[in-house]
Amino acid sequence: MTVKNGNSKSGGASLRMSRRRFMGTAATVAAAGGITGFPNIVQAADPIRTIGLGVSIINEIQGKAAKDVGFKIRGQALGYGALFGKTLNQNDQYEVSECYFDMFDVMIPSGVFQAIDTHRIKDWDKVSNLTKTGMLTPGSSVGQGDAPVRQIWVDKDGKRTDGPSRYISAVPGWHNADSLGYNPEDTGRPIESWAELFSSDFRGRVALLNVPQIGAMDAAMGVEALGLIKFGDKGNMTRKEIDFLVDFLIKKKKEGHFRAFWETFGQSVNLMVSGEVALQSMWSPAVTAVKAEGVPCIYASPKEGMRGWHGALAISKKVTGKKLDQAYEYLNWWLDGWAGAFVARQGYYMSTPANTKKHLPADEWDFWYEGKAAAKELPDPFGSPLVNKGEVRDGGSYEQRFKKIAVWNSVMSENDYLVKRWTEFLTA
Amino acid sequence: MSNASEHHHTGLIGSQPRPDGSARSKISYAEEGFATAWLIAPASLWLILFLVIPLVSIVVFSFWENTPQGLNPAFSLEFYGEYFYTKGFFDPDSDRFLLPSVFIRTLGSTVYFTLVTMLLCLIVGYPIAYFLAMQVQAFKWQLALFLLCMVPFWTSYLIRAVAWLPMLGRRGLINQALLGMGIVDKPVSFLFYSEFGYTMALVQIYVVLGIGPIFFSLAKINKDILEAATDMGATPFQIFREIIGPMSLPGVAIGMIFIFVMIMGEFATAVVVYGGKTSTAGTVILNYYGIANYPFAAVNALMLMLAMVIGIIVILRVVDIRKEL
Repeated sequence: MTVKNGNSKSGGASLRMSRRRFMGTAATVAAAGGITGFPNIVQAADPIRTIGLGVSIINEIQGKAAKDVGFKIRGQALGYGALFGKTLNQNDQYEVSECYFDMFDVMIPSGVFQAIDTHRIKDWDKVSNLTKTGMLTPGSSVGQGDAPVRQIWVDKDGKRTDGPSRYISAVPGWHNADSLGYNPEDTGRPIESWAELFSSDFRGRVALLNVPQIGAMDAAMGVEALGLIKFGDKGNMTRKEIDFLVDFLIKKKKEGHFRAFWETFGQSVNLMVSGEVALQSMWSPAVTAVKAEGVPCIYASPKEGMRGWHGALAISKKVTGKKLDQAYEYLNWWLDGWAGAFVARQGYYMSTPANTKKHLPADEWDFWYEGKAAAKELPDPFGSPLVNKGEVRDGGSYEQRFKKIAVWNSVMSENDYLVKRWTEFLTA
Repeated sequence: MSNASEHHHTGLIGSQPRPDGSARSKISYAEEGFATAWLIAPASLWLILFLVIPLVSIVVFSFWENTPQGLNPAFSLEFYGEYFYTKGFFDPDSDRFLLPSVFIRTLGSTVYFTLVTMLLCLIVGYPIAYFLAMQVQAFKWQLALFLLCMVPFWTSYLIRAVAWLPMLGRRGLINQALLGMGIVDKPVSFLFYSEFGYTMALVQIYVVLGIGPIFFSLAKINKDILEAATDMGATPFQIFREIIGPMSLPGVAIGMIFIFVMIMGEFATAVVVYGGKTSTAGTVILNYYGIANYPFAAVNALMLMLAMVIGIIVILRVVDIRKEL
């Protein structure tokens, strides 16, 4: 370290050497008990990093998890696109990705995750059949598109398997089913089919979700319900099907059918509250938010079924050793019930309903999962009143809702083509 | 005459003393150069770190491949092809014979909206700047009114855009008034989530960027010249055409460059005020970023930048800012 004028190469080497020697000495001293008085700091595990959408990355959730598992969890909430990109391209930047099964057509072949051993998942037997067999209750329909059951089973190396296996691609988490939200005063009739999305009665009062992958599926539900076309798989359309759909949408747009296209939760709430829109594709908690503003809003249960989506917790392939144990601990914590109760109050379901039930007061369980009228005023996850006494959740019970999933959120093989045609639709 | 004006010019910039070529001045020149290098070092470093390197990486990314397994470093022109190519273009048998690709069309409509908004900003903004600079005599009132123009910047950009809804929406103030007066029996919807509302919002948001520079260049005009012109019998129109107009051109050009650059990259207003019913070059980039197709997002970003550079060159061709200042 005293070398001043020697050539830079040897200078650097000696610097490195002495630094390494110093670190070694320090470690020896620490190991020999030379440093005392800070046992917690020496023993505390490093934090783990998790990334996800705002749906699951919430201070309260990661904070409570940290308290329970004994190490810090650094959550980073991203937008859908950023989450997709970071999960795929930077798997050294996270230990856990709180992602969605519709991303797995890309994530599984790319090998960014490691297979998760179900023997290390404490409550694996309590995980419902929705993701294991695709049927929450016997006789339910699995649904088209990237149903979790088509994405979950892998072998030890993370490659897909035909059926159940000891290993899974990710631990199933929070999920829900979406459909149409409407203002009954504006529509003047109950909405019972996706076909109503294109009814000329509502011309100029309809909004669609402007995320090509999902918006296209909502539109496809409508076009199919009108009987104009029968899609092979709405979750994986062919170019021809995409062309048909987008041409139809462009025609409708030129007729002035759409009032707006929304991108965020807040926008969809605004459209309904301000009376701009009578009927639109909508997310379930947004309906609650509209009603909270005193505007009537009903979440439709279309006879064709709903569009499902399913969150999941995956572990990066780069994670080994102690960090891997921590990641498993965090995954196990999610299934334990507290998190399930938390997301239930936002209107989402959890893959371990039995554990969730243990953490939810009976009134809340009956309202959120059983579809019964609220016996008293119920709170949101942060303790503010959310549901009035006597209110009933739209869409019925958990089982009813998931009995008939028409299609799951998906990333299609022709995704790039879809986005291109969608751009054309918006530009038209 | 021209010589004299050159020597006695005491404008904002003024004339620089020239080194006289002696040995002494050479030394001091070198010292000056050293100091200058240090002065510009922080800004240069900042620009290199946060402008040049990201820009270069955008260029590099634009040649990469986007495989199902993620990004793949390569030298591929695939996405440039994707940007320009469209099925049936220049094919005499196709009904898309002269229809450019959707990306070029989107860029085209972005440019179109930008030009329309620039023109409207000029029509609205110039008189305001003129009034501030020429009609308001007291400096404190000039300043007060100019600051008043800046009031919209006190709130966030998004709030300014969203605030149009209670005004122009179906249940907005204007519709309530129209309904109340019995002029219409159903709320009119062309005011909002429409081209009309979009253009109006853009003008409102960006006109201030034009007012500032125009105001400054108008305020710099020596009132004695205008008085002399009046004394010599020039009509107000002649004074404007011969003196005020040309002398305010640099301000107009700078203002237009600001507005041009801002609106070309615009995407939030299109979502909030137009209800996402149009694509701008900005939303296309965002969409492809959203599906993690970074190379194609990069190609789109570069094409947008190219269009901006061309636009700025055109504006600078029309008005030589350096000369005029």
